Amino acid sequence: MSHLSEDQLDHLIAEEKARPQPPLNDWRTIAARARDEGLIRETSSPGWVSSQSWMQAAAAVLLLVGGIAIGRTTIGLPSATQNPASVPAENVATTPTSAAAAPQSPSSATASFASLEEASATLDRAVEDYRRATEFLAANNSSGRPGDSAAMYSARLVALDKVFNATESALQAAPHDPVINQYYLATMGARAATRQMVARPVVLRGF
Amino acid sequence: MSEMPIDQLDLKRAIAGDERAMQRLWSQHAPHIDAVVRRLCGDPELAADVSQEVWMQIFRALPSYRGDSQFGTWAHRIAVNRTLNALRKIRRLAKLEVDIEDDSAMVEMDSDRTFLAESIEQAMTKLSPGARAVFVLHDIEGYTHGEIGEELGITPGGSKSQLFKARAKLKKLLANLMDESTTVAGKGKAHVAPV
Repeated sequence: MSHLSEDQLDHLIAEEKARPQPPLNDWRTIAARARDEGLIRETSSPGWVSSQSWMQAAAAVLLLVGGIAIGRTTIGLPSATQNPASVPAENVATTPTSAAAAPQSPSSATASFASLEEASATLDRAVEDYRRATEFLAANNSSGRPGDSAAMYSARLVALDKVFNATESALQAAPHDPVINQYYLATMGARAATRQMVARPVVLRGF
Repeated sequence: MSEMPIDQLDLKRAIAGDERAMQRLWSQHAPHIDAVVRRLCGDPELAADVSQEVWMQIFRALPSYRGDSQFGTWAHRIAVNRTLNALRKIRRLAKLEVDIEDDSAMVEMDSDRTFLAESIEQAMTKLSPGARAVFVLHDIEGYTHGEIGEELGITPGGSKSQLFKARAKLKKLLANLMDESTTVAGKGKAHVAPV
């Protein structure tokens, strides 16, 4: 009868420790119980929810359009919008060029939402798209320009660090403020992308 | 165990009942927390139920987290305590000291007296709850015998003895894996590890 050696068993144990395992429950199950126990609290009144939703949408459009405008200016493309607020958030984040070519009415980005949840989910997707798009541009746009340098990205990183710290401090005082939250998240994405640029040996631009 | 430092803002928000902050904590730590629950329980359905209790306890106890240890370490302790308590309630750990002295209790009975362990996870399910707890806590989770003794209400010597026997049994149960690795990689070979 053969047995494993101690070393072989230790090897299997090490593999078991490193083996990724999915959670035993999904979040909805956990959240339902937490809600039943009052651990998840709805902190907003209906009026505040409405106001918060509007402010989140406004903040998202502002950030996305502003970010794209900055990005396009940085990489030398023509300004996208005569009316920056008219660019739909998702289109801007995923396909900035086409979005720039087809501005829509100011209300079109929010008018089609059927519920607060849908608007909130769309906002989350837009922020994530924005973050991914900026990172992609930062990583892949290699059309050089004399002004680009490691020093510029370092300076940008310092500035973003300050913005990040400022928004983080602001969130301590107003943790549920949607506008500050959006700036905080956007700054996090921009900072991550800039850190990539600083770490890259070749000069790349686009963010 | 190294881990990302917990976001203090998320922690404050989670304490205040912010679902997204709670979800972020859960997403970050559930893989490790649930893994220890799964291993200690040895039964996926039971583990899923226990895991829910564990996470409720973690969220209930959030205000008491002082940051003295890493959040993951703190939550892990809660997970181990709650899981062992759950196992005690259903009497799967009730006779741990007896298990230590009773070698026949080291492996749960198999009706056909044969067992092919394809993985250490599978082999662990064949250990008695007490032996599995000692093995998981020591060899996988890195607890000392003293810590295990406190958790299980046994002596450090008892923990060592349990671990020795558990490892011996696992080496038998997993012998087919050694054969597969030392001979031709013959999948489907019918090696039998006697129990």
